[in-house]
Amino acid sequence: MAGLESFLSAIGGFVTSFAIIDVFWATLLGIVVGMLPGLTATLGVALMTTLTFQMEADRAILILICMYVGAIYGGSRSAILLNIPGTPANAATSLDGYPLARSGQAGRAMAIATTGSFVGGLIGMLALAVVAPALAEFALSFGAFEFFWLAVFGVLIAGQLTALDDPLKGWIAGFLGLFVAMIGQEGIHAVPRFAYGSTDLAGGIGLLPAMVGAFGFAEILTVMRQQSYEVVRGKVGSIWTGIRQAVRYRITAIRSGLIGTFMGLVPGVGEDMGAWASYAAARQTSREKGQFGKGSVEGLMAAETGNNAAVPGALIPVLTLAVPGSAPAAVLLAAMVIHGIRPGPLIMIEFPDFVFSVVAMVFLATCAMFVLGLLLTRPLLLVLRVTRERLMPVIFVLCTVGAFAIASRTFDVWIMLVFGVLGFILRELKYPMAPLILGIVLGDILDKSLRRGLVLTDGDLTPFFTRPISIVLFGSALLFILLSMPGTRRLMARMLGRRRDGGGP
Amino acid sequence: MKASRMDRLDFVSAIVLTAFGIAVLVESLRLPRLDHLNVNPYTVPGIVPGMLGAILTLCGLAMLIRSILRGGWRLDLTADTVGGFVRSASVRRVALVLALTLGYALGLFGWLPFWLATMVFVFAFVVATEAMALGKLPPLPNIAIAAAIAAVTGAGVEFVFERLFYVRLPG
Repeated sequence: MAGLESFLSAIGGFVTSFAIIDVFWATLLGIVVGMLPGLTATLGVALMTTLTFQMEADRAILILICMYVGAIYGGSRSAILLNIPGTPANAATSLDGYPLARSGQAGRAMAIATTGSFVGGLIGMLALAVVAPALAEFALSFGAFEFFWLAVFGVLIAGQLTALDDPLKGWIAGFLGLFVAMIGQEGIHAVPRFAYGSTDLAGGIGLLPAMVGAFGFAEILTVMRQQSYEVVRGKVGSIWTGIRQAVRYRITAIRSGLIGTFMGLVPGVGEDMGAWASYAAARQTSREKGQFGKGSVEGLMAAETGNNAAVPGALIPVLTLAVPGSAPAAVLLAAMVIHGIRPGPLIMIEFPDFVFSVVAMVFLATCAMFVLGLLLTRPLLLVLRVTRERLMPVIFVLCTVGAFAIASRTFDVWIMLVFGVLGFILRELKYPMAPLILGIVLGDILDKSLRRGLVLTDGDLTPFFTRPISIVLFGSALLFILLSMPGTRRLMARMLGRRRDGGGP
Repeated sequence: MKASRMDRLDFVSAIVLTAFGIAVLVESLRLPRLDHLNVNPYTVPGIVPGMLGAILTLCGLAMLIRSILRGGWRLDLTADTVGGFVRSASVRRVALVLALTLGYALGLFGWLPFWLATMVFVFAFVVATEAMALGKLPPLPNIAIAAAIAAVTGAGVEFVFERLFYVRLPG
């Protein structure tokens, strides 16, 4: 009940102040950022963090959440109209959205995506309101041992799920991220590591410049490497029939919302997997399986509900464990720290109203996204007419200024460049970026937790493997590794085959 | 079995990764142990980086073995394949973009007034990439649009960052 009061008072505070203007412009900007190939939600939130760090905490976080929600939704536009997902989270959207647009039903497809995103956002928001306080209370029992395994588990699961074809590359990306976090002064004895006399390196690698490089500059290089894109032209079609049709698939929407929220909750996995897992579940249970990939309304609905539900889902571990559920959530985590909020198990004790304030922010952003998405369907098409040759230099200028702005250091511009080039090469080699970023965030937690745990036990590793939560996290991590090994999979297939043969007539 | 392009790339990246992992491990061992301060040996700064170095080495070796088993060690580096790669349109586009962006970030940013550096960069980028796409200098209206985008970006970004958000820009 106290939570509901905090939520309503936060909504009241935002609606009756200038904050509502922030909600609309930031969400609209997010939609535009998401629409444009080459601009991802992560980059949008990172650049906006550099612009808002002088503002009051509540206002800055509100703008960032609106940007995040808007960008994940906005990516559906380019997925539908260009067959290019505006953000990686909209890859599943293009499978059915683009065929619908090609058959002259772009308006319907956009309305279905908008409705799905709205429903997904609301389901995720409810989960955020219910799960976050409970998880924060549960996390109070976490010690150094549990946080160590949480970091290991986060990197492994993010590596596994963002590189399903080749988990080894996902894990390598995660471990590289953990290593990047080791650069600079360590947190226990203040010894500079891998700094080689450089005071800049001793200060560590900033998360924001690294993310702007890995998600901004690398994306510019990737977009410019590819063939140029063409917008679907012709009839947009009716928008309102799309909304009516979306209501028919309410069960799919609810299921996708729950799946998306859960995928958002898993460290580092985020919206991409929220969309793919929801899409796969919808295809498996659908009566119209044959339509999937050819313009299925249900498939489109599932993908867009799943990715937007993952946004509030990804905020749950950010607030309660200080572990991001996705790459844009990692930037939000950094932004919260910049603004003096300390996410983690103590959040309900130190900042009891903040969690419900965030729920209210998600609610307002989701409503603004729904209204703007439907009202501005046709005007927003103009955004996609901008060619990459004219757009990319502007984005690069923003990346450079954004990297510089946080600390007014040229060194951060260099970091952005290094991570951009490295990120581009790693992408070309099929290494996912999300585990790398998660590794950078979790590196400090892993380092301090392991060493503190070893001090507490005087070098005895037993508690790392015997405390109940540690057992679950360690067991899950081990299971993930074993299940992804081809040898184990072959052995299991053989065992299952033998059992089937034995059980047959 | 003919190795795929990715298997060959994996072979190269596995060697780089293994070497990197070994370097991290060695450098971690060289980090101070702080014996003179009588610190707890389980808190020495090199313990976690050392573990990560070892894990990266193992992952690199695993990928190396996998790529060798798939035939990735046959790199197929002939004059034709290398020449074809270098001459491909996508590689030339990336090289041009790299030259322009690095030139701006390392050469112009901070050395010239921000608005001027940005205008020069944006104009050069639009004209050069359009020229590459068209195979000739873009027509005059396109050049005029490039100049307009450059002017708006230079002045607009400076105004938004410095006047609205109070971020000091270099140059």
